[in-house]
Amino acid sequence: MITLVYGGTSSGKSAYAEDLVCSSKYQYRFYLATMSANDEESKSRIQRHRKLREGKGFITLEHARDIRNSIGDIERICTGNFSTEDLNANGRIVLLECMSNLVANEMFCDGEIYDAGHCIEKIIDEIKELESQVSELVIVTNNVFEDGITYDTETEDYLKALGTINSKLAKEAAKLVEVSVGIPIVLKE
Amino acid sequence: MILVVGGSYQGKTEFARVNFPNAKYFNQLHKFIKKRIEDGKNQDEILQEIEDVVLDGQWVVISDEIGNGVVPFEENDRQWREITGRILISLAKKSDEVYKVICGIGQRIK
Repeated sequence: MITLVYGGTSSGKSAYAEDLVCSSKYQYRFYLATMSANDEESKSRIQRHRKLREGKGFITLEHARDIRNSIGDIERICTGNFSTEDLNANGRIVLLECMSNLVANEMFCDGEIYDAGHCIEKIIDEIKELESQVSELVIVTNNVFEDGITYDTETEDYLKALGTINSKLAKEAAKLVEVSVGIPIVLKE
Repeated sequence: MILVVGGSYQGKTEFARVNFPNAKYFNQLHKFIKKRIEDGKNQDEILQEIEDVVLDGQWVVISDEIGNGVVPFEENDRQWREITGRILISLAKKSDEVYKVICGIGQRIK
């Protein structure tokens, strides 16, 4: 089951998504971070998010791309902990934060630019695979579509790819929530 | 306090005038925040200054949502988006009512 959380910068979408995960009943809470720390600003963002998650029982996994690899991590961590409790208690919930970074990391990697269509397909396939291995998958994604500016071809290709992925995920999702000024607005349930 | 947010030119002010004719207005909050950042004020100081005004009496606060675009190239613009977003979250928490206006239509979200 997928829940998609959509919002602009500093809209409160992460705090909302984390609350959603923390109020769930699953035994394992994974935080799948896709942002790579390559400058001071991203480092300080990552610090801010780590602070937000502190003490909430998240197991952090870091995959800037190829999120399929997170499945192996999850298996290794969960199979080390056998429990006799019911299935729900043994369940796994994953919070992927965030899709906009993942798409950028897949498309623009080591000085190369990869085909948008290929990236869309790869990401959707990997999301489906990840979803099948967990009880719930919460995906945070960005609204970067409303500044009215036409950018260079690479950026426009990126925007189109992210928009396409958001729409595909929304179709699959059991729930779609937009967060605006910290307030959740349910668009699909 | 009533908070009205939305994109540019969505009819936020008109919506507020029609629905809350007797209130006092703090319009273009995002531009006020930008000026204060340029004056060297930090997020907490700006929020405090706004709250000192709008928590007293019947106020309608109107602001553009400016965080729904591509990450700006200039650091100042990035900082402005973040501070505006965080201040709006704080104000929304203290608001009795929050409206998001799209194409002139206001949707009550709180």
